[in-house]
Amino acid sequence: MSTLHVLSHSPFGDDRLTSCLRVIGAEDALLLSGDAAYALQPGTAPFNTLGTRGLNLFVLAEDAQARNLQTPDWAEVIDYPAFVELSIRYDKVNSWL
Amino acid sequence: MPRSLLIISRQSPWSGPSAREALDVVLAGGAFDLPVGLLFLDDGVFQLAAKQDARALQQKDLSANLQALPMFGVDDLFVCGDSAAERGLDPKVLSLEEAQVLSTGEITALIDRYDQVITI
Repeated sequence: MSTLHVLSHSPFGDDRLTSCLRVIGAEDALLLSGDAAYALQPGTAPFNTLGTRGLNLFVLAEDAQARNLQTPDWAEVIDYPAFVELSIRYDKVNSWL
Repeated sequence: MPRSLLIISRQSPWSGPSAREALDVVLAGGAFDLPVGLLFLDDGVFQLAAKQDARALQQKDLSANLQALPMFGVDDLFVCGDSAAERGLDPKVLSLEEAQVLSTGEITALIDRYDQVITI
């Protein structure tokens, strides 16, 4: 059973990202939305961690664009229709509220 | 002698109304000629990141309002250097040139200096 993990909080404010990376499986994916997109800020601890993990990693285009975040080649930029498709493709969605 | 007020803004610009509300308090204080200071702490430093594009989220840009602060008599602007460094932001290229970069110890002294403090 595959899971799409959805993060929307800043990786600098709490340990949701750390916990998520601890439990995420090889078949799972991680979607960064809202302030979670700040994890793609180059030169930071979250960025370096994500870059070495080889995850199925997605980020919402609007949220990256608003924050002037360039997407590295190990992450895929998606729009809202693609977000819907992802939530159907994976067996379940885990939103880290 | 009016009491001095320090606003500590520690929320990112697009996650909710907090960043704008902190700015509103600062501008209101400035309008009443209170000695007001504004400190960007934690995720609040993201408000000063360059080239943000609020149109993607159909919101209004906050950075133009921040640039106007000195015009409203708010000159005491501060940034936590550690918060900026941890978030990959170079304190030298933040969008608010007037802001002084402070160390943790200097922030302790800054808070001590003001009569009242509000953290949003």
